[in-house]
Amino acid sequence: MSLQTPRVLPAHLHAFHPSSGAPSTHTIRLLGTVSALHGDTATITCGGNGDVTLVLRPDSHLQMGKLVEVVGKVMDLEGGGLGVRVLGTMDWGNPADCDYKIYEKVVEATHKLKPIFYDSNE
Amino acid sequence: MDYGNSFGGGGFMPGEMSASPGGGGKGDLNNTTLRPITIKQALDASQPYPEANYQIDGADASSITFVGQVRNISTQTTNVTYKIDDGTGEIEVKQWIDTSTAQDTMETDDGKGPGAPGKDQVELNGYARVFGRMRAFANKRFVSAHCVRPLRNINELHVHLLEAAAVHLFFARGPPGGAGAGAGGAGAGAGAGAVGDAAMGGMDDYAAQAKGLPAMSPVARRVFNLLKTEFQSNEGLHMQVIATKLGLPMADVQQAIDELLSAGVIFSTVDEYTWAVLEYH
Repeated sequence: MSLQTPRVLPAHLHAFHPSSGAPSTHTIRLLGTVSALHGDTATITCGGNGDVTLVLRPDSHLQMGKLVEVVGKVMDLEGGGLGVRVLGTMDWGNPADCDYKIYEKVVEATHKLKPIFYDSNE
Repeated sequence: MDYGNSFGGGGFMPGEMSASPGGGGKGDLNNTTLRPITIKQALDASQPYPEANYQIDGADASSITFVGQVRNISTQTTNVTYKIDDGTGEIEVKQWIDTSTAQDTMETDDGKGPGAPGKDQVELNGYARVFGRMRAFANKRFVSAHCVRPLRNINELHVHLLEAAAVHLFFARGPPGGAGAGAGGAGAGAGAGAVGDAAMGGMDDYAAQAKGLPAMSPVARRVFNLLKTEFQSNEGLHMQVIATKLGLPMADVQQAIDELLSAGVIFSTVDEYTWAVLEYH
Protein backbone atom coordinates (compact mmCIF):
# COMPACT_ATOMS: atom_id res chain seq x y z
CA MET A 1 0.00 0.00 0.00
CA SER A 2 1.21 3.41 -0.73
CA LEU A 3 1.72 5.96 1.98
CA GLN A 4 -1.31 7.92 3.03
CA THR A 5 -0.99 11.39 4.45
CA PRO A 6 -4.29 12.62 5.91
CA ARG A 7 -4.90 16.36 5.78
CA VAL A 8 -5.41 17.68 9.30
CA LEU A 9 -5.73 20.78 11.45
CA PRO A 10 -3.62 21.47 14.57
CA ALA A 11 -6.42 20.18 16.80
CA HIS A 12 -6.16 16.73 15.22
CA LEU A 13 -2.46 16.21 15.77
CA HIS A 14 -2.94 14.21 18.99
CA ALA A 15 -4.84 11.55 17.04
CA PHE A 16 -1.77 10.91 14.93
CA HIS A 17 0.72 10.86 17.78
CA PRO A 18 2.63 7.56 18.04
CA SER A 19 1.22 7.03 21.54
CA SER A 20 -2.37 7.29 20.32
CA GLY A 21 -2.17 3.63 19.38
CA ALA A 22 -3.40 4.27 15.89
CA PRO A 23 -1.90 1.77 13.49
CA SER A 24 -1.15 4.50 11.01
CA THR A 25 2.26 5.80 10.12
CA HIS A 26 1.59 9.13 11.87
CA THR A 27 2.33 10.97 8.68
CA ILE A 28 0.06 13.93 8.07
CA ARG A 29 -0.39 17.00 5.92
CA LEU A 30 -0.80 20.46 7.36
CA LEU A 31 -1.43 23.78 5.69
CA GLY A 32 -0.34 27.06 7.22
CA THR A 33 1.46 30.34 6.87
CA VAL A 34 5.07 30.54 8.02
CA SER A 35 5.00 32.93 10.99
CA ALA A 36 8.41 32.33 12.58
CA LEU A 37 11.74 30.83 11.59
CA HIS A 38 14.37 29.80 14.15
CA GLY A 39 17.13 27.91 12.42
CA ASP A 40 16.08 24.30 12.59
CA THR A 41 12.53 24.95 13.71
CA ALA A 42 9.71 27.05 12.35
CA THR A 43 6.16 27.96 13.29
CA ILE A 44 3.22 27.93 10.95
CA THR A 45 -0.14 29.53 11.64
CA CYS A 46 -3.03 27.44 10.43
CA GLY A 47 -5.72 29.97 9.69
CA GLY A 48 -7.71 30.55 12.87
CA ASN A 49 -6.80 27.12 14.19
CA GLY A 50 -3.61 27.88 16.07
CA ASP A 51 0.10 27.47 15.51
CA VAL A 52 2.21 24.38 15.00
CA THR A 53 5.94 24.05 15.55
CA LEU A 54 7.82 22.34 12.75
CA VAL A 55 11.16 20.61 13.13
CA LEU A 56 12.83 21.25 9.82
CA ARG A 57 15.11 19.18 7.66
CA PRO A 58 18.45 20.61 6.57
CA ASP A 59 17.10 20.87 3.03
CA SER A 60 13.83 22.52 4.01
CA HIS A 61 13.55 26.00 2.59
CA LEU A 62 10.73 27.93 4.17
CA GLN A 63 10.12 31.61 3.61
CA MET A 64 8.42 33.92 6.06
CA GLY A 65 4.85 34.81 5.22
CA LYS A 66 4.43 32.11 2.60
CA LEU A 67 1.68 29.55 2.62
CA VAL A 68 3.17 26.07 2.91
CA GLU A 69 1.81 22.58 2.83
CA VAL A 70 3.82 20.33 5.11
CA VAL A 71 4.05 16.57 5.01
CA GLY A 72 5.47 15.32 8.26
CA LYS A 73 5.27 13.07 11.28
CA VAL A 74 3.72 14.04 14.59
CA MET A 75 6.29 14.12 17.40
CA ASP A 76 6.80 15.35 20.98
CA LEU A 77 8.53 18.68 21.36
CA GLU A 78 11.31 19.06 23.91
CA GLY A 79 9.44 21.76 25.73
CA GLY A 80 6.28 19.66 25.79
CA GLY A 81 3.42 19.72 23.35
CA LEU A 82 3.16 18.33 19.89
CA GLY A 83 5.09 19.30 16.82
CA VAL A 84 5.65 18.01 13.34
CA ARG A 85 8.91 16.65 11.97
CA VAL A 86 9.01 17.85 8.39
CA LEU A 87 9.44 15.31 5.59
CA GLY A 88 8.58 17.63 2.76
CA THR A 89 7.14 21.04 2.11
CA MET A 90 5.33 22.60 -0.79
CA ASP A 91 5.30 26.36 -1.22
CA TRP A 92 1.89 27.68 -2.24
CA GLY A 93 2.92 31.32 -2.37
CA ASN A 94 0.74 34.09 -1.06
CA PRO A 95 -1.63 33.02 1.76
CA ALA A 96 -4.16 35.55 0.47
CA ASP A 97 -4.67 33.32 -2.57
CA CYS A 98 -5.99 30.51 -0.43
CA ASP A 99 -9.37 30.39 1.19
CA TYR A 100 -8.53 28.59 4.44
CA LYS A 101 -12.22 27.89 5.07
CA ILE A 102 -12.22 25.57 2.07
CA TYR A 103 -9.29 23.69 3.56
CA GLU A 104 -11.16 23.32 6.85
CA LYS A 105 -14.08 21.83 4.94
CA VAL A 106 -11.71 19.52 3.09
CA VAL A 107 -10.31 18.24 6.39
CA GLU A 108 -13.83 17.71 7.69
CA ALA A 109 -15.01 15.93 4.54
CA THR A 110 -11.93 13.75 4.19
CA HIS A 111 -12.27 12.45 7.72
CA LYS A 112 -15.99 11.81 7.41
CA LEU A 113 -15.57 9.90 4.16
CA LYS A 114 -12.69 7.58 4.92
CA PRO A 115 -13.66 4.99 2.31
CA ILE A 116 -12.63 7.29 -0.51
CA PHE A 117 -9.82 9.20 1.17
CA TYR A 118 -8.09 7.16 3.82
CA ASP A 119 -8.09 3.59 5.00
CA SER A 120 -10.71 3.21 7.67
CA ASN A 121 -8.22 1.91 10.20
CA GLU A 122 -6.46 5.22 10.34
CA MET B 1 7.21 23.82 -37.45
CA ASP B 2 8.29 20.35 -38.42
CA TYR B 3 9.80 18.98 -35.27
CA GLY B 4 7.15 16.31 -35.12
CA ASN B 5 8.58 14.27 -37.92
CA SER B 6 12.05 14.11 -36.60
CA PHE B 7 10.88 13.34 -33.11
CA GLY B 8 7.95 11.02 -33.60
CA GLY B 9 9.95 8.10 -34.89
CA GLY B 10 8.91 5.89 -32.01
CA GLY B 11 6.68 3.72 -34.12
CA PHE B 12 3.43 5.38 -33.15
CA MET B 13 0.91 5.69 -35.92
CA PRO B 14 -0.85 9.04 -35.90
CA GLY B 15 -4.14 7.21 -36.27
CA GLU B 16 -3.66 5.58 -32.94
CA MET B 17 -3.45 8.87 -31.22
CA SER B 18 -6.68 10.32 -32.47
CA ALA B 19 -8.60 7.73 -30.51
CA SER B 20 -8.45 7.91 -26.77
CA PRO B 21 -5.06 6.63 -25.74
CA GLY B 22 -5.53 3.36 -24.02
CA GLY B 23 -9.23 3.47 -24.74
CA GLY B 24 -11.11 0.72 -26.41
CA GLY B 25 -13.11 -0.67 -23.54
CA LYS B 26 -16.70 -1.44 -24.37
CA GLY B 27 -19.06 1.47 -24.07
CA ASP B 28 -16.29 4.03 -24.08
CA LEU B 29 -18.05 6.09 -26.68
CA ASN B 30 -21.34 6.10 -24.85
CA ASN B 31 -19.91 7.27 -21.60
CA THR B 32 -17.60 10.21 -21.77
CA THR B 33 -18.42 11.51 -18.33
CA LEU B 34 -15.41 12.88 -16.56
CA ARG B 35 -15.44 11.85 -12.95
CA PRO B 36 -13.45 13.61 -10.22
CA ILE B 37 -11.88 11.04 -7.92
CA THR B 38 -9.17 10.52 -5.34
CA ILE B 39 -6.25 8.22 -6.04
CA LYS B 40 -7.50 5.85 -3.36
CA GLN B 41 -10.71 5.49 -5.34
CA ALA B 42 -8.72 4.71 -8.45
CA LEU B 43 -6.78 2.04 -6.59
CA ASP B 44 -9.98 0.61 -5.09
CA ALA B 45 -11.96 0.68 -8.34
CA SER B 46 -13.34 -2.67 -9.37
CA GLN B 47 -13.67 -4.28 -12.75
CA PRO B 48 -16.78 -6.40 -13.22
CA TYR B 49 -14.99 -8.58 -15.77
CA PRO B 50 -11.60 -8.37 -17.49
CA GLU B 51 -11.36 -5.58 -20.06
CA ALA B 52 -14.48 -3.93 -18.68
CA ASN B 53 -14.61 -0.34 -17.64
CA TYR B 54 -13.58 0.28 -14.09
CA GLN B 55 -16.36 0.96 -11.66
CA ILE B 56 -16.38 3.22 -8.64
CA ASP B 57 -19.35 3.13 -6.28
CA GLY B 58 -21.07 0.83 -8.74
CA ALA B 59 -21.00 3.31 -11.59
CA ASP B 60 -18.76 3.22 -14.61
CA ALA B 61 -15.86 5.60 -14.30
CA SER B 62 -14.10 5.45 -17.60
CA SER B 63 -12.80 9.00 -17.76
CA ILE B 64 -11.40 10.32 -14.55
CA THR B 65 -9.61 13.36 -13.23
CA PHE B 66 -7.58 13.83 -10.07
CA VAL B 67 -4.97 16.10 -8.60
CA GLY B 68 -1.84 15.18 -6.72
CA GLN B 69 1.81 15.83 -6.15
CA VAL B 70 4.23 14.57 -8.77
CA ARG B 71 6.70 12.25 -7.01
CA ASN B 72 8.57 11.01 -10.03
CA ILE B 73 8.82 11.82 -13.72
CA SER B 74 10.41 9.38 -16.10
CA THR B 75 10.54 10.19 -19.77
CA GLN B 76 10.65 7.28 -22.17
CA THR B 77 10.57 7.01 -25.92
CA THR B 78 6.84 6.56 -26.23
CA ASN B 79 5.52 7.94 -22.98
CA VAL B 80 6.17 9.98 -19.89
CA THR B 81 5.46 8.17 -16.66
CA TYR B 82 4.54 10.16 -13.58
CA LYS B 83 4.05 8.95 -10.04
CA ILE B 84 1.23 10.96 -8.51
CA ASP B 85 0.43 11.13 -4.79
CA ASP B 86 -2.58 13.00 -3.46
CA GLY B 87 -2.33 12.00 0.18
CA THR B 88 -4.79 9.14 -0.25
CA GLY B 89 -2.55 6.92 -2.32
CA GLU B 90 -0.07 6.80 -5.12
CA ILE B 91 -0.61 5.79 -8.74
CA GLU B 92 1.36 5.69 -11.95
CA VAL B 93 0.26 7.92 -14.79
CA LYS B 94 1.44 7.36 -18.34
CA GLN B 95 1.10 10.02 -20.95
CA TRP B 96 1.77 8.81 -24.45
CA ILE B 97 3.80 11.21 -26.49
CA ASP B 98 2.02 12.27 -29.63
CA THR B 99 3.23 14.62 -32.27
CA SER B 100 1.74 17.75 -30.82
CA THR B 101 3.08 17.26 -27.31
CA ALA B 102 6.41 16.23 -28.78
CA GLN B 103 6.47 19.53 -30.55
CA ASP B 104 5.81 21.41 -27.33
CA THR B 105 8.62 19.56 -25.62
CA MET B 106 10.98 20.35 -28.42
CA GLU B 107 10.11 23.99 -28.28
CA THR B 108 10.67 24.35 -24.60
CA ASP B 109 13.83 22.29 -24.76
CA ASP B 110 15.21 24.61 -27.37
CA GLY B 111 14.10 27.61 -25.42
CA LYS B 112 12.08 28.75 -28.38
CA GLY B 113 8.72 28.51 -26.69
CA PRO B 114 6.76 31.70 -26.26
CA GLY B 115 6.98 33.37 -22.88
CA ALA B 116 8.68 31.70 -19.97
CA PRO B 117 9.97 28.31 -21.02
CA GLY B 118 8.58 25.42 -19.02
CA LYS B 119 5.66 27.44 -17.78
CA ASP B 120 3.25 24.68 -18.62
CA GLN B 121 5.63 21.93 -17.62
CA VAL B 122 4.82 19.68 -14.72
CA GLU B 123 7.42 19.99 -11.99
CA LEU B 124 8.77 17.34 -9.68
CA ASN B 125 7.03 17.58 -6.28
CA GLY B 126 4.68 20.19 -7.68
CA TYR B 127 0.96 19.56 -7.95
CA ALA B 128 -0.62 18.46 -11.19
CA ARG B 129 -4.08 17.73 -12.50
CA VAL B 130 -4.48 14.57 -14.52
CA PHE B 131 -7.23 13.70 -16.98
CA GLY B 132 -7.27 10.14 -18.22
CA ARG B 133 -8.57 6.62 -18.09
CA MET B 134 -7.76 3.77 -15.78
CA ARG B 135 -5.93 0.88 -17.36
CA ALA B 136 -4.10 -2.18 -16.17
CA PHE B 137 -0.99 -3.80 -17.49
CA ALA B 138 0.31 -7.06 -16.06
CA ASN B 139 -1.96 -6.63 -13.03
CA LYS B 140 -0.56 -3.22 -12.34
CA ARG B 141 -3.02 -0.39 -12.42
CA PHE B 142 -2.11 2.87 -14.05
CA VAL B 143 -3.80 5.86 -15.58
CA SER B 144 -3.43 6.54 -19.24
CA ALA B 145 -3.52 10.31 -19.35
CA HIS B 146 -4.95 12.59 -22.03
CA CYS B 147 -3.55 15.57 -20.28
CA VAL B 148 -1.30 16.28 -17.32
CA ARG B 149 -1.01 19.92 -16.42
CA PRO B 150 0.47 21.78 -13.47
CA LEU B 151 -1.90 23.00 -10.78
CA ARG B 152 -0.94 26.31 -9.26
CA ASN B 153 -3.96 27.41 -7.25
CA ILE B 154 -4.41 25.60 -3.97
CA ASN B 155 -8.13 26.28 -4.01
CA GLU B 156 -8.42 24.11 -7.08
CA LEU B 157 -6.84 21.26 -5.12
CA HIS B 158 -9.27 21.67 -2.24
CA VAL B 159 -12.29 22.04 -4.46
CA HIS B 160 -11.30 18.91 -6.33
CA LEU B 161 -11.24 16.92 -3.09
CA LEU B 162 -14.64 18.27 -2.12
CA GLU B 163 -16.01 17.58 -5.57
CA ALA B 164 -14.74 14.01 -5.42
CA ALA B 165 -16.47 13.65 -2.06
CA ALA B 166 -19.72 15.11 -3.41
CA VAL B 167 -19.73 12.82 -6.44
CA HIS B 168 -18.95 9.82 -4.25
CA LEU B 169 -21.89 10.65 -2.00
CA PHE B 170 -24.10 11.14 -5.03
CA PHE B 171 -23.42 7.61 -6.20
CA ALA B 172 -23.28 5.98 -2.80
CA ARG B 173 -26.30 7.60 -1.17
CA GLY B 174 -28.21 9.18 -3.98
CA PRO B 175 -28.72 12.82 -4.82
CA PRO B 176 -29.06 15.46 -2.15
CA GLY B 177 -32.20 17.40 -1.49
CA GLY B 178 -35.74 16.16 -1.30
CA ALA B 179 -37.75 16.25 1.89
CA GLY B 180 -37.02 12.63 2.64
CA ALA B 181 -33.28 12.96 2.38
CA GLY B 182 -31.92 12.05 5.76
CA ALA B 183 -29.09 10.10 7.27
CA GLY B 184 -28.53 6.67 5.85
CA GLY B 185 -29.67 7.73 2.43
CA ALA B 186 -33.39 7.56 3.11
CA GLY B 187 -33.99 9.88 0.22
CA ALA B 188 -31.78 7.89 -2.08
CA GLY B 189 -32.73 8.45 -5.65
CA ALA B 190 -32.21 6.62 -8.84
CA GLY B 191 -29.57 9.05 -9.93
CA ALA B 192 -26.89 6.48 -10.44
CA GLY B 193 -29.03 5.06 -13.19
CA ALA B 194 -27.65 7.63 -15.49
CA VAL B 195 -24.39 5.66 -15.42
CA GLY B 196 -22.44 8.71 -14.54
CA ASP B 197 -24.17 10.96 -17.03
CA ALA B 198 -25.93 12.83 -14.29
CA ALA B 199 -24.64 16.33 -14.27
CA MET B 200 -24.41 17.93 -10.88
CA GLY B 201 -27.17 20.31 -11.86
CA GLY B 202 -29.44 17.45 -12.74
CA MET B 203 -29.55 15.98 -9.29
CA ASP B 204 -32.87 17.47 -8.36
CA ASP B 205 -34.62 15.79 -11.26
CA TYR B 206 -33.47 12.43 -10.07
CA ALA B 207 -34.37 13.17 -6.52
CA ALA B 208 -37.89 14.05 -7.53
CA GLN B 209 -38.21 10.86 -9.54
CA ALA B 210 -37.35 8.46 -6.84
CA LYS B 211 -38.82 10.01 -3.78
CA GLY B 212 -39.51 7.43 -1.18
CA LEU B 213 -37.24 4.77 -2.60
CA PRO B 214 -35.69 3.06 0.40
CA ALA B 215 -31.95 2.89 0.82
CA MET B 216 -30.44 0.31 -1.50
CA SER B 217 -27.38 -0.52 -3.50
CA PRO B 218 -26.40 1.70 -6.42
CA VAL B 219 -26.98 -1.16 -8.85
CA ALA B 220 -30.50 -1.66 -7.58
CA ARG B 221 -31.14 2.05 -7.99
CA ARG B 222 -29.87 1.91 -11.55
CA VAL B 223 -32.17 -0.98 -12.37
CA PHE B 224 -35.08 0.83 -10.76
CA ASN B 225 -34.35 3.96 -12.70
CA LEU B 226 -34.16 2.03 -15.95
CA LEU B 227 -37.49 0.32 -15.30
CA LYS B 228 -38.99 3.66 -14.49
CA THR B 229 -37.70 5.64 -17.44
CA GLU B 230 -37.29 3.12 -20.24
CA PHE B 231 -40.12 2.96 -22.76
CA GLN B 232 -41.92 -0.31 -22.21
CA SER B 233 -45.20 -2.09 -22.62
CA ASN B 234 -47.34 -3.12 -19.67
CA GLU B 235 -45.22 -6.21 -19.45
CA GLY B 236 -42.18 -4.38 -18.17
CA LEU B 237 -38.64 -5.35 -19.04
CA HIS B 238 -36.95 -8.74 -19.28
CA MET B 239 -33.88 -9.16 -17.11
CA GLN B 240 -31.82 -9.88 -20.20
CA VAL B 241 -32.81 -6.48 -21.58
CA ILE B 242 -31.95 -4.79 -18.30
CA ALA B 243 -28.56 -6.47 -18.24
CA THR B 244 -27.82 -5.38 -21.80
CA LYS B 245 -28.99 -1.82 -21.30
CA LEU B 246 -27.00 -1.29 -18.16
CA GLY B 247 -24.05 -3.37 -19.28
CA LEU B 248 -24.22 -5.47 -16.14
CA PRO B 249 -23.76 -9.20 -15.67
CA MET B 250 -26.97 -11.16 -15.13
CA ALA B 251 -25.96 -12.07 -11.59
CA ASP B 252 -25.82 -8.41 -10.59
CA VAL B 253 -29.19 -7.72 -12.19
CA GLN B 254 -30.66 -10.70 -10.35
CA GLN B 255 -29.29 -9.35 -7.10
CA ALA B 256 -30.68 -5.90 -7.78
CA ILE B 257 -34.06 -7.39 -8.70
CA ASP B 258 -34.12 -9.34 -5.45
CA GLU B 259 -33.33 -6.18 -3.56
CA LEU B 260 -36.03 -4.16 -5.31
CA LEU B 261 -38.53 -6.98 -4.91
CA SER B 262 -37.96 -7.24 -1.19
CA ALA B 263 -38.36 -3.47 -0.98
CA GLY B 264 -41.72 -3.93 -2.68
CA VAL B 265 -41.14 -1.43 -5.46
CA ILE B 266 -41.26 -3.79 -8.48
CA PHE B 267 -43.28 -6.85 -9.46
CA SER B 268 -42.96 -9.64 -12.00
CA THR B 269 -45.31 -9.60 -14.97
CA VAL B 270 -45.54 -12.32 -17.65
CA ASP B 271 -42.89 -14.55 -16.13
CA GLU B 272 -40.38 -14.50 -13.32
CA TYR B 273 -37.78 -12.79 -15.51
CA THR B 274 -39.86 -9.79 -16.55
CA TRP B 275 -40.30 -6.91 -14.18
CA ALA B 276 -42.17 -3.63 -13.95
CA VAL B 277 -42.27 -0.82 -11.47
CA LEU B 278 -45.02 -0.97 -8.91
CA GLU B 279 -46.57 2.47 -8.90
CA TYR B 280 -47.22 3.07 -5.27
CA HIS B 281 -47.77 6.77 -5.04
